[in-house]
Amino acid sequence: MRALVIYAHPVPDSLNAAAHQIVVDTLRERGWEVDDCDLYAEGFSPVLTEEERRNYHNTEINTAPVQGYVDRLRAADAVVFCHPVWNFGYPAILKGWHDRVMLPGVSFELRDGKLWPCMKNVKRIATVTTYGATRKLAFLAGDPPRKLFKRGLRLTFGAHKVRYIAQYDMNNITPAGCQAFLARVRKEMEAF
Amino acid sequence: MRALVVYCHPKEGSFNSAVRDTVMGRLEHARVETRLRDLYAEGFQPVLTRDEWVGYEDTETNRKPVADYCDDILWCDTLIFVYPTWWYGLPAMLKGWLDRVLLPDVAFHMPKAEGEIIKPGLHHIERLGVFTTCGASRWLTMFIGAPGKRTLMRGVGLLLKPRAKKAFAAHFLMDTAPRASLEKHLKKVAAKTDTLIGMTASRRAPLEGAPAE
Repeated sequence: MRALVIYAHPVPDSLNAAAHQIVVDTLRERGWEVDDCDLYAEGFSPVLTEEERRNYHNTEINTAPVQGYVDRLRAADAVVFCHPVWNFGYPAILKGWHDRVMLPGVSFELRDGKLWPCMKNVKRIATVTTYGATRKLAFLAGDPPRKLFKRGLRLTFGAHKVRYIAQYDMNNITPAGCQAFLARVRKEMEAF
Repeated sequence: MRALVVYCHPKEGSFNSAVRDTVMGRLEHARVETRLRDLYAEGFQPVLTRDEWVGYEDTETNRKPVADYCDDILWCDTLIFVYPTWWYGLPAMLKGWLDRVLLPDVAFHMPKAEGEIIKPGLHHIERLGVFTTCGASRWLTMFIGAPGKRTLMRGVGLLLKPRAKKAFAAHFLMDTAPRASLEKHLKKVAAKTDTLIGMTASRRAPLEGAPAE
């Protein structure tokens, strides 16, 4: 079983980085083969270019600019996203991974002008994330990243295991709170 | 009235550029002062860097890498976004503008004491317009929960003046949209822009030729 871990945080000594490390270590301990994709470290460019937009629906050539990333996604049985929530959304670098890699012919196709999921290999998905906002404030804003993941990606992958592990209110978190969050991440990954 | 239009699409000549032109046309017609930011044309760099994250809460220096863009935000009283919806959300380019420009003490204030939460900082912005296009259908977008719309209308909306005026218009199923439907949508965008800036039908005539606000 192979897991692709998509990690998007710029700072190595953040809580997010610690959670990411636990995800990778725990999955490996449990026998997963882990492809650890650190978007910042790999210098991933999130900007979908004019040429990519022009060739977007041409499934013969649209994957060429990001072929490596597409291959890694196609080889995965599970995908785990580790990222902070900024301004009620994904960091741009992670949003750009969706924009550029989850292409027609890779994760969805158009049938009679309607979107249809077409990726069969990924059956388990999880998100490990941190919010500055409280749960209540995020709820009032409609919690866009939670919805995009739990509804959009669940549908796209046809995943049967979907876990959303979030720590809210990072501005008021205590050291004990951090430990509790990391313990929760470990427990979730052990059962993943 | 001072309107900042943040436009994000990689291809000139796209339907989004027609939406942008419609919005700009209505603003200029109403003699609103405008600033247009074309993020792709300017080559905006959307990735919040390690240094920016480390200095995020240092309000003396945090806006330095994006000072011009912060100045736009502090200058305007009307904020309008024109962009395509990709993966139910904002293009990374536009999301990066939020990440890097909506900073502590520019757009919001970080908690000062334990137990406090983030406080809004854009009370000088009284109007928010969001104009987008979606490949997905209206039903699918609603089922997913329209994350992109919510990131802007509610997420950014929470930072603005309480009860700020808001306008939203989306065209769905862009891949099979007939020409007539697109033309109709541009009219809707024009009407929504007029309403947003207070150019209602009854006031439209007298406003022409009147001095700018």
